[in-house]
Amino acid sequence: MIRLRLRWKIAAWCSLLVVALQGIGLILFAQIGRSSAIADARMEVATAQRVFDRQIAHRAAQLSQAARVLAADYGFREALLSQDRDTIVSALDNHGGRIGADLALLLALDESVVAGSIGLPQGLPARVHQLIEAVRNRQEGSGFAVIADRLHQIVVVPVLAPVPTAWVVLGFQVEQGLVDDLRGLTGLQLSFVRRGARDDWFLDASSLPPDVGQALLARFRNASLGGEDTVAVAVADDDYVTHVHALDIGEPGEAAVVLMLSLDRALAPWERLFRESAALSAAGIVIALLASAVLGGTIAAPVMRLAGFAQRVQRGEYGGPPELSRGDEIGELADAFSAMTGEIANREARISELAYYDGLTGLPNRAWFGERLADAVGDALRSEGTVAVITLDLDRFRMVNDALGHGVGDLLLQKVGRRLRETMRDARDQVARLGGDEFAVMLPGADLHRAQAVAQRVAEVLQAPMNLSGQVVDIDASMGISACPEHGEEAAQLMRHAEIAMYQAKRGNARFKIYDPADHDRNVQRLSLLTELRHAVENDELVLYYQPKVATRPDPAHHVEALVRWIHPSRGFIPPFDFIPFAEQTGYIKYITLWVMNAAVRQCGQWLQQGLEVNVSLNISARDLLNPELPVLFDGMLQRHDCPARLITLEITESAVLDDPDHALANLQALRATGCALSIDDYGTGYSSLSYLRRMPVSEMKIDRSFVMHLLDNPNDEIIVRSTIELAHNMGLKVTAEGVESEDVLNRLRELGCDLVQGYLISKPIPREQLERWFAESHWAAAWPDAGRRTGMAGG
Amino acid sequence: MLRKVVTARRRALPGFVLCALCGLAEAAVITLRVSDSASGRALDSVVASLVPLDRGELPQPRSASIAQANKTFLPHVSVVQTGTAVEFPNNDTVRHHVYSFSPAKVFELKLYSGKPAKPVIFDKPGVVVLGCNIHDRMSAYVVVVDTPWFGISDGEGTVRVSGVPPGDYLLQLWHPRRLGLPELPPRPLRVMGDLAESVSVDLKN
Repeated sequence: MIRLRLRWKIAAWCSLLVVALQGIGLILFAQIGRSSAIADARMEVATAQRVFDRQIAHRAAQLSQAARVLAADYGFREALLSQDRDTIVSALDNHGGRIGADLALLLALDESVVAGSIGLPQGLPARVHQLIEAVRNRQEGSGFAVIADRLHQIVVVPVLAPVPTAWVVLGFQVEQGLVDDLRGLTGLQLSFVRRGARDDWFLDASSLPPDVGQALLARFRNASLGGEDTVAVAVADDDYVTHVHALDIGEPGEAAVVLMLSLDRALAPWERLFRESAALSAAGIVIALLASAVLGGTIAAPVMRLAGFAQRVQRGEYGGPPELSRGDEIGELADAFSAMTGEIANREARISELAYYDGLTGLPNRAWFGERLADAVGDALRSEGTVAVITLDLDRFRMVNDALGHGVGDLLLQKVGRRLRETMRDARDQVARLGGDEFAVMLPGADLHRAQAVAQRVAEVLQAPMNLSGQVVDIDASMGISACPEHGEEAAQLMRHAEIAMYQAKRGNARFKIYDPADHDRNVQRLSLLTELRHAVENDELVLYYQPKVATRPDPAHHVEALVRWIHPSRGFIPPFDFIPFAEQTGYIKYITLWVMNAAVRQCGQWLQQGLEVNVSLNISARDLLNPELPVLFDGMLQRHDCPARLITLEITESAVLDDPDHALANLQALRATGCALSIDDYGTGYSSLSYLRRMPVSEMKIDRSFVMHLLDNPNDEIIVRSTIELAHNMGLKVTAEGVESEDVLNRLRELGCDLVQGYLISKPIPREQLERWFAESHWAAAWPDAGRRTGMAGG
Repeated sequence: MLRKVVTARRRALPGFVLCALCGLAEAAVITLRVSDSASGRALDSVVASLVPLDRGELPQPRSASIAQANKTFLPHVSVVQTGTAVEFPNNDTVRHHVYSFSPAKVFELKLYSGKPAKPVIFDKPGVVVLGCNIHDRMSAYVVVVDTPWFGISDGEGTVRVSGVPPGDYLLQLWHPRRLGLPELPPRPLRVMGDLAESVSVDLKN
């Protein structure tokens, strides 16, 4: 297509140009040729006319001379003057015949006819007398005259005896021979035309073919020719340059000689030139066509090669550049193509690197690993070989990251990557970082036994302490092992199974675990769990339990923490640990949170209506904190259930803010703006910095149970708890301690200034009915029945 | 058209007439002055002849001679009485072939030198043009008249005719340039004594 289009386009335009130029040239040539031929023909006719005049004059002179000689012949004179008519006539015949005269007349000096070789019924034409008069005046005595109805060239000479004593008139008829002679001399067509007494034109003699002669006469008849003129006219089917030369024949009638040059003849050389030129033009056009086709080809062919090259590049073949060693623009284009594809290849390699490699560790990433694994699985299946996969997850990486900072975390990951790579013995073994603290190892050709050996080695290698920027860190990892074909014949399946095994290992505190299909079943359970969880939310299978909190100082208000529980219709009570992390993983926590929030606000409102003012706190997950709709929804719930915001406390973990601090903090501000209180849950387990803490609009801090439980045994814990309480109070926050299980701990906490306590010592989480009973019956609930004043802030 | 002006001096005209009638008078001399009627100039070579109306006994013609010298006829113009024998002596060293195709006298003297044996008798009145067949440029005129009284005008246009007896005559005039033209109408002239007349000749018509 491209070849045809470009090549023939170039050819067509070139040819068009050549044809146009040649055409214009030929037209000009033809026009110039014609006008030039006509001019030439006119010149030729003019020349011919002069030749004709000269020829006629010459002939007249010759005839005159001959006549004079004749008239001087003694015997002729003797006969003429013999007075004997018969003798005279015979002498005229005889002597006239000597010089080829067609007629001979003898006139007396008074110009009366004495005798003649022919009869003259119409008398002597006036033209003869004119000629005699001319001779008397010593002029040429010759001319044309019509005698006996025929056009003659006549000569008048005196008969000298020795003085002029008579006139001899000799006539030479204008006939074909004369015309042919003149035609031979002038090269033109010659016609003697004459108008007779009856006013009709006829030819006396003509070199023209009869039909053309008649056509010429027709032109005289309709008076389109006449006089003395040189014109180009069409006669019969031909164009002639025609010169009409009037002949003086005296009265009556008129006569003319018509000289005609056929334009066809005059144009003939031009036409031959024109034909040759046209042939040359045609040849030129053909050559131009071929040349432009070749030219088009020389342009189109490299373009085609470039196009082919571009198509190869499109298919991803960056091989050799198009072979065009040319210095012209197409060569430059080819060079540009080469440079471009080089750059594209480089960039593609870089993109591939980004796509397939992990920038931090320099290891291949999950995508790359997946593809290579698929290849390896394919190879294994074809060759009835094996492939083993080990997935590896670092334990407590998050802690390291949070405690020592991201920089150290990154160093740790790099070091782990390096160690993993160094552990591999087989060149085919591949290590990849799947993301976060998750790594994978592919062992082509390895069975489970060897995979286990590798895992064992990895575990040992990782156990060695690592020095990270001067910090010595111990690290453990959990590994899962799966192998093809035992555990699957697809890469993704192997990966999934290895990961399941890895979770099992983590859960079971083992270093590594080989995939067990039973684990998989549990996994499948998890999937159905999501369906059931959705069902539970929609069908109110969830219920709220409440764990009371008690103030360490007199406080009239009730404080409870609302906790969600799932009562499965068939499976019964499902502990939060079994579905909350799962819900957080899948994002379904969002709906659970909304359900909890709504139920808690509603309950709070109801209690208030019953005259029971209960401060209800509820937990917000990290994910919820990023839900921008939450503040609006929450506000809507408060309105709907007539619940004052001040009675609601939203508990968040420190770490919830860390994932996306900007959005999380903005959302916290919006929630705070509804009027509710915010609380930091599980304080001490995260590693948030004080700067975040200060930016969070919280009014309460909850100390994690792990610090509280061993408060009395572990001096470190007491230091942490005390400093936390001091810190909180310094920041104007209220402090709640979780996990209070003994009176001693309670007392100690009171001493330390903790504001609220919560734990099994007071009550475990209980349903609403029990709680209401607890409010009425428990001595804890009545601990400060008449305290009157609500304790909020402990200084500031 | 013939135009003729005659201015006669008629001195004692009645006396002449009486003399003629009585036949006792002496022969007269007639003097004519000839001019060209067109230009009025004196005209030479005019042949004037007086032909008597009364054709009585005329004297015998005298002989005449037209010589050729230097390829020229001498004289160029001659007038002779009818029946005159004219000699053609050739004084040139070359031969001549004298001829005439004039109706009044057709003759030829073939190549000769010296004097031909016989003279040529001009026996009819008229104009005879002489030529030489050898020398086209030679020409001469011989006017043959039926009278012995004639003359040719000289360079001054004067013609003298003497010995003319009294009587009635027709004056006939001719000039070579009138060759081929009709004869001029003769003019009657009564001679009773010497007479001098002026006449004009029309050369064109």
